[in-house]
Amino acid sequence: MINLEFIVNMLSLGSLYAMLALGLVIVYGILRLVNFAYGELIMVGGYTMYLLAGFTPLPWFVIAIVAVLAAMFTSFFTELVAFRPVREKSLTAMLITSFAVSTLLQNGALLIISPRARAVTLPQLFQTSVMIADTSVPWRNILTIVTSVLTLALLSLLLRRTVLGIALRAAADNFTMTRMLGVPANTIISTAFAISGIMAGIVSIFFISRSASVTPTIGAPPLLVAFVATVIGGMSSLTGAVVGGFVYAIIISLLGVFLPPGLLEFREAFMFAIVIIILLFRPEGLIRSKNTGERVG
Amino acid sequence: MNLPARLKLFNTPLILVAGILVIALLTQLFGISLLTRIVTVMFISLILVLGLQLYMGNSGILNFAHIGFMGIGAYTSVLFSMTSKAKLLTNSDLYPFLVPLHLSFLPSLLIGGLMAAFLAAVTSYPLMRLSDAAAVITTFALLVIIHVVLLHGDRITNGPRTLFGVDFYTTLWTSTVFAVITIFAVYLFKESRIGLRLRASRDDRYAAASIGINMVLMRWLAFVVSAFIAGVGGGLWAHFITSFTPYSFYLTETFVILAMLVIGGPYSVSGAVVGTLVVTAAREVLRAIENYVNILNVFPEGFFGFTEVVLAIVLILILVYRPAGIMGGRELTWLRERPKTRESEAFKNSGKA
Amino acid sequence: MLELQEVHARYGTITALRGISIQVSRGELVALLGVNGAGKSTTLGCIAGVLRPWQGSITFEGVPLVGKSPEQIARLGVSLVPEGRDIFPSLTVEENLRLGSFIQKEKSAYKRNLDEAFDLFPVLKQRLQQAGGTLSGGEQQQLAIARALMSNPRLLMLDEPSLGLAPVLVDQIFELIARLHQRGVTILLVEQNVERSLEIVDRAYLMNTGLIESQGTAQQLRTQADIASVYMGIKQQDKK
Repeated sequence: MINLEFIVNMLSLGSLYAMLALGLVIVYGILRLVNFAYGELIMVGGYTMYLLAGFTPLPWFVIAIVAVLAAMFTSFFTELVAFRPVREKSLTAMLITSFAVSTLLQNGALLIISPRARAVTLPQLFQTSVMIADTSVPWRNILTIVTSVLTLALLSLLLRRTVLGIALRAAADNFTMTRMLGVPANTIISTAFAISGIMAGIVSIFFISRSASVTPTIGAPPLLVAFVATVIGGMSSLTGAVVGGFVYAIIISLLGVFLPPGLLEFREAFMFAIVIIILLFRPEGLIRSKNTGERVG
Repeated sequence: MNLPARLKLFNTPLILVAGILVIALLTQLFGISLLTRIVTVMFISLILVLGLQLYMGNSGILNFAHIGFMGIGAYTSVLFSMTSKAKLLTNSDLYPFLVPLHLSFLPSLLIGGLMAAFLAAVTSYPLMRLSDAAAVITTFALLVIIHVVLLHGDRITNGPRTLFGVDFYTTLWTSTVFAVITIFAVYLFKESRIGLRLRASRDDRYAAASIGINMVLMRWLAFVVSAFIAGVGGGLWAHFITSFTPYSFYLTETFVILAMLVIGGPYSVSGAVVGTLVVTAAREVLRAIENYVNILNVFPEGFFGFTEVVLAIVLILILVYRPAGIMGGRELTWLRERPKTRESEAFKNSGKA
Repeated sequence: MLELQEVHARYGTITALRGISIQVSRGELVALLGVNGAGKSTTLGCIAGVLRPWQGSITFEGVPLVGKSPEQIARLGVSLVPEGRDIFPSLTVEENLRLGSFIQKEKSAYKRNLDEAFDLFPVLKQRLQQAGGTLSGGEQQQLAIARALMSNPRLLMLDEPSLGLAPVLVDQIFELIARLHQRGVTILLVEQNVERSLEIVDRAYLMNTGLIESQGTAQQLRTQADIASVYMGIKQQDKK
């Protein structure tokens, strides 16, 4: 069962989850905020694709970019309107706010569009496969891997070669000190949220391509993946997020192969049990980092 | 403790209970079945909010799994309270060993609570050592996992299909009595040594550790008790609504209960009560509007989600302008006003400049 | 240049400063001395904008600082090297320095300041691409100061730069501070090491439990102060 097709699928999933987790961690690393509304950014990407693909003649490449931009702007906007005013108050307030924003966006979609699932017309490419070494590899998987490699490379470039990127990494180390060097807090945070939105947008393209439909609650499963991958990888290291994403993909793919058919539906439950075991021995996650948040016991 | 001092201790819960009883009496007098339904559900919600307050108010950590435990309590209690015939009628696929189980209402309720508490105890201990953010995330994951298990555990829960045929046991006064008991229980927990220790370790974990407080253990205990309450609440709700699916114990309900607690004020028992009352009233109004618009057929797809959208906006506004909720950490009392608890101050200003 | 008047500050319910008044003129090297808990770090925190005093005023070259954000205050030319150095452990030495010159708009200034930093702290040049977290305590201290200097600050504030360093490094640090003073940098120094501080500073303030206990030139304080009593935090005897 473990053949080239399986491995490519797993890599594709892993790279998707890596980007997913990255988008979450980039905000967490600086603000210590777990953004519950992150999943809804994927929903926004999905509905953008639904609206544009269904009602305009735009080519898919353009639609994809607009979807990413939509997610980015939503993320940016929610920070500006909901998170910034609460930022000074307390972390718990921000967390609850993010949950409220999540509910707001979900029910907003429900209200404005429909509670029912909406089919998204996908480009032909996503349904075709190519033959490599005697196995049929869906184009979708190849695209996912290529896109994520490119995205991670670009992100890495941004973080290492630009002053803004250096400032972002510094902010994750020590936000206050970064401000004391004259770096504007709002710029840093807005940038982080924007990057988070871009990640979610890109993920949404490939995520929707798997099911070809979008509903208001489509953000919940990827949110969970992002959460768990992040916790596995160690909460505030970007490398940890990538590792966590791949580890999640590997475990869940293996579970898919090795679990008896009757238990297959409980994959997530088993995943969770494994995560708990990991956390039992390594509460700070797999990747050691200086800033994993205070361990309690 | 002499009598006056003892009365002082119970000051707040007595006021709250008095309020509850007044509402119940008036509802009974009015005799409008819709009102009775709303109030009964409100009291059940109150029990859940109180359970959440017990954990969140004292430990300061968000718990997203609460409604999951409600679901566990609901399903467990009906498995015991329904007759074999009723069980097989709704779920012909039920595991054979579950079919003959039968107890009366109260024991079923209790077992529901215990099951929830047991599962909470087992799954949460490793999570108590995590940093706050990871702890919150994992409770959320726990909620989703419980949901998945309920959804796919066809042979126990009937899966995504409706489980129907539950006997109606939760009358207005049933829920009232349980609400009253819960108010006392949660308040006593807050004022107990465990509650005190938990709050101490929340305020300053190192100082607390230095005087021998085991924060992990305290948190765990609170989590388990909180889950028990949620389980009992779930059982009560199951025997009110008499048919349900796993979808009743997921994100929307979590949001509503959380909103009730936060809007009312998560740091006091009075906050839980006030929040439940206020939000229930608001929701009924909003829902009436929603129904009205639906009747008018203005929106072809139906006008749904309006209630939640408004509630979410209100919640955000409260967090921005009055983060400690309506009660602001205070308890309702006839006495000279107690000083504001440090929590509410901390909650407001724990961000640095 | 810098003036604090009757500054009061609190941490929650704990009062840290109970009415501090301090002046620092351009080019001076002034010290805030006192034992742990005296309020020295709190004072610097108030100036830098990290903590907000609930009473009193702070002006820098005539501009009021209270209520401004840390980044605004940094842009006015106030640079703080906090206790514990606070270098960015996951950034390289070069990146730390690069960020230090964030507010420096001139491109050429960056190169110039970098060279000066290497001049003062040759070890940084050697470790340029190493992660900040891998540096030793003394090297981190040098990095922290170098980073602060990258922005050509008009006022440099140092919080316990000698803390936790080996004696030979302590010498180096104080030597360095004296050299910077010679170059004309205005410095506000917070230290517990009273003796060494009084050797290099122009003036000093002695703080105790949130108040200024005494002040004067280094000379005055050296003859007046009973060093032991300062270390113990005992109030000074009045001298005739």
